[in-house]
Amino acid sequence: MSRHPRLVALALLLALVGLWQIVSLGDRPDFILPPTEVASHVLTAIASGELLPHMAASLTRSLPGFALGSLIGITLGLLAGVARGFAQAVSPAVFLTYPVPKIVFLPLFMLWFGIGDVSKILIIALACFYPCFINAYYGARSTPTIMVWSALNMGARPLAVFRKVVLPSALPLVLAGLRVSLALSFILLFSTEMINARSGLGFLIRQSEANLRFDLMYVSIVAVAVLGYVSDRLLLFARHRLLAWQDAASA
Amino acid sequence: MAAVLRPIALVALVLGGWELLARSGLVSRLLVPSLASIGWELWHLAIRPESLGEAWQSLHRALAGFGLAAAVGVTIGVLMGRSALAAAFFNPLFAGTYPIPKIALLPIFIFAFGIGSLSKVLLVFLECLYPIAVTTYAGSRAVNRVLLWSALNMGASPATVLWRIVVPATAPYIFAGFRIALPIAMIVVIITEMISSADGLGYLAMYALASLKTDRMLAVVVVIALLGLALDRLLVALRDRLVFWEKLESYYAE
Repeated sequence: MSRHPRLVALALLLALVGLWQIVSLGDRPDFILPPTEVASHVLTAIASGELLPHMAASLTRSLPGFALGSLIGITLGLLAGVARGFAQAVSPAVFLTYPVPKIVFLPLFMLWFGIGDVSKILIIALACFYPCFINAYYGARSTPTIMVWSALNMGARPLAVFRKVVLPSALPLVLAGLRVSLALSFILLFSTEMINARSGLGFLIRQSEANLRFDLMYVSIVAVAVLGYVSDRLLLFARHRLLAWQDAASA
Repeated sequence: MAAVLRPIALVALVLGGWELLARSGLVSRLLVPSLASIGWELWHLAIRPESLGEAWQSLHRALAGFGLAAAVGVTIGVLMGRSALAAAFFNPLFAGTYPIPKIALLPIFIFAFGIGSLSKVLLVFLECLYPIAVTTYAGSRAVNRVLLWSALNMGASPATVLWRIVVPATAPYIFAGFRIALPIAMIVVIITEMISSADGLGYLAMYALASLKTDRMLAVVVVIALLGLALDRLLVALRDRLVFWEKLESYYAE
């Protein structure tokens, strides 16, 4: 049974959708639509141009925020992993503020940077910073001492040691951090858009909810799910390519 | 010594810079209120029973959703780890829906469960369920086989094996999952309260912003931050108490 995980997953998905369809055939409240209707609404919304501009607006907020936050997080995390003095100064502050829900800074950011895209991008960046920093820090710090010694012993310069030894050794954890950040970026994207925005999928969900346009509400929820799923798959694919050596070593 | 002084110096630098900016008159007090006025608002929040009620509202939503997710998530995770059938059923389900932001379901939850606490608690539950179930699954799969064989060989019943071996052996992982899920619970509560609510700390922060009381808003932010921090510390203390025999090599351990 577990020999074909993809097949099992597909069958399960079909069974769930089928169940949903059968249940929604009977008496149902207005806010529950059967899957066939949702699917047709998705096609209409794409054709009428109602969906894609909002998807694009969402991505122009989440991707810069994710890129900015994770880039700074990984850079500082790696730095803290190899430079003890820097780690002593910075990492207590990072670990202390890590459990603080970053969304609380949204009102402040709205005040400082306006209610436009900048405050949203920055709040996403802030949330993405943490998992990347922490994972990169531990990734760099757990580089086997013996490898660093060997490299130094064979005459590698510090920069070369960092690039050829520390970086590959930290990569698995860095990518794990990126994956957490990616999921967080979408949560923050949709919530900031639900709180205040004039475009984007979060806005579309709120607007169609307020107007009782359940068709559009489901369409945007499906779009959110697709965005989250596809971007995660892309990241996993990239990880598979980047960490091919690791799989080979453990197999 | 430097290890203690450096972080304190950093905090002092940030706070000092803030206060300097606030007092310099370069920026409006609305944008950067002074630490004194934030402290004053914080004091007001702390002594008024209404604001304590708002904090309790947020806290009980977060803890209810988290507790529910902990019970269900650990059960499903252990089940997946110990039964191939359960793993074949739940694994694709969790793997497939893990990257989907559950927050998008909020409108449906509001229609189905009302705009009160129930829809928020259920959303917290759903977001917390994933990390708890997945890490518990990973942990219960990693139980040392020799321990299981020994117990079975000495005549332990499956229930005894589960309770005496699998659960303790999985405990470090369970707590790792809890530690990921608890901040998520706080995030989701604050978000849902900001989006649609008439009570709770998230609402209070948005309300203070709308009435241009920046110092009060920052005081609420401080309260939320302290609450998140306190919950995390509490969880770590509980873990160190319960799972004292193993120091887990966690990413988030200090």
